[in-house]
Amino acid sequence: MMFIDPHVHMTSRTTDDYEAMAKAGIVALIEPSFWLGQPRTKVGSFQDYYSSLVGWEPFRASQFGIQHYCTIGLNSKEANNEALAEQVIELLPLYVHKENVVAIGEIGYDDQTAAEDKYFRIQLELAKELDMVVQVHTPHRDKKAGTIRSMEVCLEHGLDPKRVIIDHNNEETVEEVLNRGFIAAFTIYPNTKMGNERMVEVVKKYGSTDIIVDSSADWGVSDPLAVPKTASLMLKNGISREHVIKTCYQNALDAFGKNGKMKESDWMNAKGINQTELYNNNSVLRGQDPKIEKTDKIH
Amino acid sequence: MENTWRKEFLSYLHWMHLPNLTRILMHFKDTELQLSKIIEGNINSNTKEWLADKITTITNVKSTKDLYLTYSLLASKIDVNDAFDTSMITAELKKYIQIQNGNLLQIARMYLLIKVLEADEEFFSEKVANIIEVADTSELVTFLKFLILLPNAEKYKMVAVDALRTNISPVFNALAYNNPYPSSYFDDRQWNQMFLKTAFMQGNLSAILNIDKRANKDLARIISDYAHERWAAGRDIDPDFWRPVIQFIGPELIEDMKRLLNSKSKFENRAGALCCYFSNNPDAKKILNGHQNLIQQIENAAFSWETIKEE
Repeated sequence: MMFIDPHVHMTSRTTDDYEAMAKAGIVALIEPSFWLGQPRTKVGSFQDYYSSLVGWEPFRASQFGIQHYCTIGLNSKEANNEALAEQVIELLPLYVHKENVVAIGEIGYDDQTAAEDKYFRIQLELAKELDMVVQVHTPHRDKKAGTIRSMEVCLEHGLDPKRVIIDHNNEETVEEVLNRGFIAAFTIYPNTKMGNERMVEVVKKYGSTDIIVDSSADWGVSDPLAVPKTASLMLKNGISREHVIKTCYQNALDAFGKNGKMKESDWMNAKGINQTELYNNNSVLRGQDPKIEKTDKIH
Repeated sequence: MENTWRKEFLSYLHWMHLPNLTRILMHFKDTELQLSKIIEGNINSNTKEWLADKITTITNVKSTKDLYLTYSLLASKIDVNDAFDTSMITAELKKYIQIQNGNLLQIARMYLLIKVLEADEEFFSEKVANIIEVADTSELVTFLKFLILLPNAEKYKMVAVDALRTNISPVFNALAYNNPYPSSYFDDRQWNQMFLKTAFMQGNLSAILNIDKRANKDLARIISDYAHERWAAGRDIDPDFWRPVIQFIGPELIEDMKRLLNSKSKFENRAGALCCYFSNNPDAKKILNGHQNLIQQIENAAFSWETIKEE
């Protein structure tokens, strides 16, 4: 079975993760631009970060046979540094048309401050102007109210809910999201928030339409194999193959494939891993034998 | 007498055998006109009109925002997979676009940049540099392949020098292979770094243009040192690696040549023979004279730098 992880911060992960993800069947992933833990103080730090999301990281992923896409945006936490935020907003139009950019994201609320609201709205307008999909980060604190507010603001700016992915849902928020016609993504965290058993229950209750599973794996305790593991648990618990494919592959492709950058043919016709493409003095390989394989993936 | 004549004739042959591109002049002529002919002949009238309007606005109002947006939006207006006709342009440029596997989007983007630069280079060169600075991988590949077409291409040398350091192989290859930019603008240190890195990456050294022209004494020494490292580690050396030493064979390289000529590998024999054959160093001639079969093969064109790796 093929999987897509539509939310994973590979910049913070190792090559072991890439290898394990490929082995577990992940063929494509989306890396939303986010907060790096350490707040940035210069617009150049954002520029280089965005550049790595459209340059180095896709190349690194390709070395493990995984297609890399990303979303570009100013995250909610750093929107609170207004002087910096202004400059970052100016930078965004230069990146949103790059070859692997599938949406504007992850944007939304963290503490639900006035500054967060301002830059969330500015980016929604940009998405509308450029007809782009939006990936919304919902707050960890005051989650339900923050999630509802995010959707209300999207509607206020005239966005089509089918082009907005509301992320980090749980049992408390999913109904509000689906009822309003938005797409609901669930982040599967080890220990906290949504565990994969809970995800199985959500799919049992709500089915697979407009529901997406992701890992949001980053620099914290998280699991880059959350999507394939959840899929496997769903199958074990009697959820149909069709539901599993939809929630762990197809819905993500449909939602993020709208601007034509992310296509199934990207991985079905990929040329396969060729690590000899690397500069072996200073690359992802450190003295190992380069791996060359032909792609042969069956749905 | 006869020997001199033969040598001249053979070096002419040697020249003729080079890939045609090696003989490409450093600068293409009337690039803007040539590219405009491709646009004229291949792009639908709506897009053509849109592009012409945009270029007028950008250059009249000096609008940076419109330049950035037009540059970006071209990707949604021109399909990179569309076949296109280049029969109306000069053979040189046609061949270059062909060997670089250029597509219509790349050509349109370069055309846009050339147009604005030619309209007001002082104002737009910084903007063009910004566009290059935020390029994604495939855009960067485009710039590197076609930098040579920009007016005052040397201004953008930083981009090419940065590409020397990249670990993203498609980006490095765009700079190193079939590209006249490095041999036109790199200094010896940069040139040597590119040649050596291509060898490190086990890349295709024969795709580097103007190797003979840019050969230098320092590079010959680096080649010898690196070869000794590889030999010590029991590893192969690409026979093309030796080509830049021809005019710089001194006492140390003579020892390397002996090793090549007496090697069990026929590819090393060939590399040594070609280096000695085209060298002016009498000692090189002398050691080669002990290998008449190799001399004959060179003179019968049984192998050359272009066919050195054929079985």
